[in-house]
Amino acid sequence: MGNAVAKNAEFVKRQAIATARIQEKFSEGRQFLTDALGEPILWAKSLMDAFDLIQLLRADDVLKFDFLSDITAYDNVDGKDGAKRFVMVYQILSTTTHVRLRLKLAVDLGEEPTSWTSLWPGANWLEREVFDMYGIKFKGHPNLRRILMDERFVGHPLRKEYPLKQRQPFPDNVPLHLGPHPLPTKNT
Amino acid sequence: MSKDGSAMIYPSLLAEAVKWARKNSLWPMPYGTSCCGIELMSTLSSTYDLSRFGAEVVRFSPRQADMLIVAGTITTKMAPVLRSIYEQILEPKWVISMGACASSGNGIFDTYSVLPGIDEIIPVDVYVPGCPPIPEGLIHAILHLQKVIEKNIERTPAVKPTYEDAMNAMTYSKCAQAAVVKSAYIVTKDGVAQNPAGQNPIDCNLGGNQNGKCCC
Repeated sequence: MGNAVAKNAEFVKRQAIATARIQEKFSEGRQFLTDALGEPILWAKSLMDAFDLIQLLRADDVLKFDFLSDITAYDNVDGKDGAKRFVMVYQILSTTTHVRLRLKLAVDLGEEPTSWTSLWPGANWLEREVFDMYGIKFKGHPNLRRILMDERFVGHPLRKEYPLKQRQPFPDNVPLHLGPHPLPTKNT
Repeated sequence: MSKDGSAMIYPSLLAEAVKWARKNSLWPMPYGTSCCGIELMSTLSSTYDLSRFGAEVVRFSPRQADMLIVAGTITTKMAPVLRSIYEQILEPKWVISMGACASSGNGIFDTYSVLPGIDEIIPVDVYVPGCPPIPEGLIHAILHLQKVIEKNIERTPAVKPTYEDAMNAMTYSKCAQAAVVKSAYIVTKDGVAQNPAGQNPIDCNLGGNQNGKCCC
């Protein structure tokens, strides 16, 4: 491992402690892996399990996961990671030990994972981005509408079925508004 | 005008004077959306010093600018904004498309979200190649634009090669290149784009082919 992070002996020790803790306490019935840098990857069993699991991980005294780095997803259309269509990826960081955890959750078309906005308010925009790119809807999200693409855009561009070069230009932009999803109708 | 009101500048010379004034005071409106914007800043700062060519007064209001420099990737969501900024610039106005992204959408960004060149929505006077172009490239574009203004050269639309043309241009086959050159404009020393009708600069017969047909 030639990585500068991996050379840090203190960090490697902390990461080993955290990995052992996750494996001992949380990996029962779940798939547990480590990547090339030794970062732990944990697969949640089901949609409800992911939400329960993150609450337990958050409350754990040893792990101290308190920071949500990123929420993203990928299209599992070739079925390499299970039978379900999408895989959600949650990147969680502990700001005290600097150990990262990657929590993965398989989501099928039409399934609605629970929104994490009640745990981290920052999950709001991250989940909106996942919705915009993949069309995964989140249960309990306060304002689930597109964040990057235009609100009149049809389809979800990072799905594999979307044609890569199919542009959807519009002659004007939707004015900035903070309201909910069907956008306000134009009066003029 | 002299003090008694008699004209000292003849009208025919006035047009020349206006032309001279316009070409030496091209106030730019920068539209830098990515790394070309950094190169644009470098061109404006002391080492390259764009003020030597009269184009140093950067105006962030389109109503005070003469020249729009689009430096960077334009997404389809940004396109209406660029269009409205172009429409706010007062006539006469010129547009420089700086870099591969603004000129053609840059091959690596050929996706659902990126505009394939700003000439889809606004007319462009000068294209600057490069990713990003060196500051000398932008200075050359401004000097070319001064030439365009001085000589009243009509704006010619860009000749966009097809996908086959682009692929042929990358091969070493002379005949494939000849097909491309035939359809392209040639820029002469004066900066005028010309299309030599019926001329084929690359002669296929030199390739040792006896039939006079194209060797491929």
